[in-house]
Amino acid sequence: MNKAVSGNYGSSDNTMMIDELSRREQLSALADGQLQGDEWRDAVALACEDQGQATWALYHMVGDVLRSSDLAKPADPAFLSRLRDQLAHEAAPQPSVETVVGVVAAPGVELAANASVFRWKMVAGFASLAAVAAIGWTSLATLQGGGQAPGGQLASVPERVAVPAAPLVAVAESDDQQVMIRDPRLDELLAAHKQFGSTSALQMPAGFLRNATFESPGR
Amino acid sequence: MHTFGLAKIIVLLRCLRTKSLLGLVFSGIFLSVAVAGPASSANGQGAGEVVAPAVERDVAQWIERMRVAPCGRPYAGTFVVLSSSGSMASSRIWHACEGDQQLERVEALSGTPRTVFRRNDEVRTFLPQSRVVRTDQREPSGIFPRVPVVSGASISQFYGVRQLGRERVAGHVADVIWLKPQDSLRFGYRLWSERETGLVVKLQTLSADGRVLEQAAFSELDLNSPIRADQLSRMMDATAGFKPVVPTVVKTTAAAEGWTLRQSVAGFVPVSCHRRTVSTSDQAQSVLQCLYSDGLASVSLFLESFDPERHPAHSQVSSMGAAHLLSQRVPSDAWLTAVGEVPLQTLRLFAGQLERMR
Repeated sequence: MNKAVSGNYGSSDNTMMIDELSRREQLSALADGQLQGDEWRDAVALACEDQGQATWALYHMVGDVLRSSDLAKPADPAFLSRLRDQLAHEAAPQPSVETVVGVVAAPGVELAANASVFRWKMVAGFASLAAVAAIGWTSLATLQGGGQAPGGQLASVPERVAVPAAPLVAVAESDDQQVMIRDPRLDELLAAHKQFGSTSALQMPAGFLRNATFESPGR
Repeated sequence: MHTFGLAKIIVLLRCLRTKSLLGLVFSGIFLSVAVAGPASSANGQGAGEVVAPAVERDVAQWIERMRVAPCGRPYAGTFVVLSSSGSMASSRIWHACEGDQQLERVEALSGTPRTVFRRNDEVRTFLPQSRVVRTDQREPSGIFPRVPVVSGASISQFYGVRQLGRERVAGHVADVIWLKPQDSLRFGYRLWSERETGLVVKLQTLSADGRVLEQAAFSELDLNSPIRADQLSRMMDATAGFKPVVPTVVKTTAAAEGWTLRQSVAGFVPVSCHRRTVSTSDQAQSVLQCLYSDGLASVSLFLESFDPERHPAHSQVSSMGAAHLLSQRVPSDAWLTAVGEVPLQTLRLFAGQLERMR
């Protein structure tokens, strides 16, 4: 137990981890359509690197699976092997592939108010390509790994990506549709309630403890 | 049990190999012990233990027993909290009392490293990564043990009690008690109260259909810990090298802030109102927090002025474990966030009763 505690402190890998985290954050922001100018260029460059591409692909894959569990089904192996062969013959995806634009409008991107800006179309195009590549790549890994379940891949997704599954997801109560919102402000209020609102007569450390123990990942 | 079984098999194998008669005799003894051991503890878990029959207590008596229990003995243990959403967190906890002082140290084993100290109503959180120490003063009661806001007698109006027998938790035999709500405005609780001291060693919050919404329990507990209150007190005061942060809190009342509940929500009495900053950012606005409790469950009403930039047009609901949350716009341009370990329905009642006086 004590070992686990001391492990939390002063790790020498901290800077590396922080660097890695900020890279992932950049990619996450890119996927959410929040970047512009130089930041955007840096992030796209990052997404073109090997590791960045893998992370980018996984982000989209996770997003797909969260939107519909149907997408978590293993795809047809025959189709994927053909796709893989085809991809091997293709040049590396260029951000300027305009032809793909109309094909798949990634749901995460379509919300962007600046959808008419050309470079966002490039991102959309790249995203759809990357998503296809991700599925191909995952299935490849699955096939090579002797039929290991795709869950193995998902398990390696960094914790940050799990944000949509974090406990505090508010549902806006509109009449016809439900909109999922994640609001850090609600986290703060909940924490304040946990800390100062524990007046329970049950003198368990729980009331006091719950405020200290529950927290959303990635904070 | 497993190690027993394994040892038994190893002994038997060795006996078969060496064909030692003595070995067989020993393994026979061992085997009978291994069988008898779990069987006797299973008896201890059963509802009808003959040796010390469970004392019949009413709600008020149980609550009083559990309230004074933490100061019975100093203890140290590992505490685990699980919510129905699947999140889990654990902490290491130390607790000791001396005179009129109650001290507690909680070290988070999950998430951001932090150590929280509590001395009666003063709470101090050490964040070793950012080298920050945050001090919060809770409602200073000055009386010890803390006098409950809601008396046991009134708690028994809203909850019934049923004893469900005995079970072992973290190596201790505990009475299992079910606090059953008398209406649908609050959740039920299943409690494990350590047999000798009365300390709550496990707690489940139950929905109306009996689902466990949240559970918290010691996974390991030492009721003979050598920890002393003055040791904890010294550790709490060792703030050198940390940047102190003291959030501003102003005590107020709902009436003074211009708010009232048209009708009180059954069993929930006002506890306190404070204006505080909850955000860590510097330019954060303060928010009014009014607290209501029925003795077991509590509800916080947070009120701030409506800001179309930050607040959505529609109301929002959310939940985490047993805690539910309702945000909505209330008349004369205020934004209400109601939070509590109660059903959503109760929060809606609160929101509906809230009224601006001026």
